[in-house]
Amino acid sequence: MTDELAWVLQAQQGNDEAFAQLVEKYQTHVYNLCYRMLGEPEAAEDAAQETFLRAYQNLHRYDQSRSFATWLLSIGAHYCIDRLRRRKLSMFSMDEENDDGTTFEIADASSPDPEAESVKREDRDHLHILLKGLDETDRAAIIMRYWHDYSEMEIAESLNLTVSAVKSRLHRARRALAGMWQEEKPLTRTEKRRAYESPAF
Amino acid sequence: MNHQPFESWLLDDKSMDPKQKLELDAHLRTCNYCTALAETGMALRSAKRISPAAGFSARFQKRLALQRAAERRRRLWGAVLFTFGSLAMLVWILSPYLASFLAAPATRITSLVGWGVFLVTTLQALLRAGTVMLDVIPGFLSPFAWMVLVSAFAGISLLWSVSIWRFTRVPRGV
Repeated sequence: MTDELAWVLQAQQGNDEAFAQLVEKYQTHVYNLCYRMLGEPEAAEDAAQETFLRAYQNLHRYDQSRSFATWLLSIGAHYCIDRLRRRKLSMFSMDEENDDGTTFEIADASSPDPEAESVKREDRDHLHILLKGLDETDRAAIIMRYWHDYSEMEIAESLNLTVSAVKSRLHRARRALAGMWQEEKPLTRTEKRRAYESPAF
Repeated sequence: MNHQPFESWLLDDKSMDPKQKLELDAHLRTCNYCTALAETGMALRSAKRISPAAGFSARFQKRLALQRAAERRRRLWGAVLFTFGSLAMLVWILSPYLASFLAAPATRITSLVGWGVFLVTTLQALLRAGTVMLDVIPGFLSPFAWMVLVSAFAGISLLWSVSIWRFTRVPRGV
């Protein structure tokens, strides 16, 4: 029996220490998903805490044949999707909320190629902003695919979709991201990159 | 501009042979859309995981403790409200009877005693009638007819029990 399953079983019997171990192990996974979904650190912290709380309250429903991480991220993704939908309904603009809240990664001064690192960082920050333009479920699928290396099958299981629906959502999201990237990206950077070589491979 | 098969290669993160890579490179030099697709793909693949601020686990434990305290408070208030609500409803339902009982207690007690006596005497009469019937009825039917009747009754009871079990059974794994 793995440590994780042992912790889950102990937590199901009311052992808080075991659940604390699970929180310790999965905090980055859950926080990262919430951060990429919601776009701001405070909301992500709150959503991640809520995800663990919901997992704790529903531990008796956890099916041990499934991966615990998938189950946990599924709770987190659904919570964030609901939260984004509520946010849409309450007519708050995410961009307005996020103007002060977004944290960007700081350039790594020790990197061997600071300029390339800076361009990469800029692209990641830009992408983080573009993610907000996607449909909530598409965004969750993209985050699970690229930040958590989930297979299409695992994403389907987490988001209650079929594998073909996941595939089509991933394609749609990638096309939408490329469209937004094309519209919003400064021309200079594209030209600069092309001068070196293909950006893909 | 025709983006195929390059768009599919990029969307499916397909591994390519050197010839395909050269073809893609040539296409990317002339196609802004596929360049954007390739760049977003690269940015997605190089995306870093963000960790929460230190002390996440401790903050969760604190939140869990607060949640439990709130849950206990909710349960306590729920029980108090339910008790007082039930009492208030009981008083409201019984208020007309209580009012008339308090207005003329002697009359009410007399009628209650009379109703009790009526109940007891009725039951006694029914018991006596039942005893007489039990003495008389067996003589009207043959033992075979009794056997058929009892079997039919047992069969109907069994059918009734099985149907209740069948319709109230909870599926496994739910």
